[in-house]
Amino acid sequence: MYRIWLLFDPRRALVALFAFLFTLALLIHFILLSTPRFDWIGGGAAVTPPGQMSSLPASK
Amino acid sequence: MSSSLPPREGSLSGLTETEAKEFHKIFVVSFIAFTLIAIVAHFLVWSWRPWIPGPNGYSTSMLTDHAHSMLALTTSMFS
Repeated sequence: MYRIWLLFDPRRALVALFAFLFTLALLIHFILLSTPRFDWIGGGAAVTPPGQMSSLPASK
Repeated sequence: MSSSLPPREGSLSGLTETEAKEFHKIFVVSFIAFTLIAIVAHFLVWSWRPWIPGPNGYSTSMLTDHAHSMLALTTSMFS
């Protein structure tokens, strides 16, 4: 397995890996911040998305 | 003729076999450390708010009594 570093330059691979992981982390954090349930800054209780809870219509 | 050729010098990356082994050792250790931290982070976030709803929605469906106590423990640690 270590032979992979004979193929790929470790410096370039590390830069690419860190850039990728940082971008991915940034993306995931912003996606989570945009949701009501996983927004950890806006505060407030956990918001349960509608549609999951109600099984019966209100009328009748 | 081809059998008398010396071992090929240099690799595509320019690393020697020893250097590749040395770097690989560091890489694997760092990867394991990263993964362990990620597992801990995921455990904490799951105990905060699970991200897969049960059949009855999110509200306490996945939270058993054990999870409730773990949640109280983890939140008390950070407050």
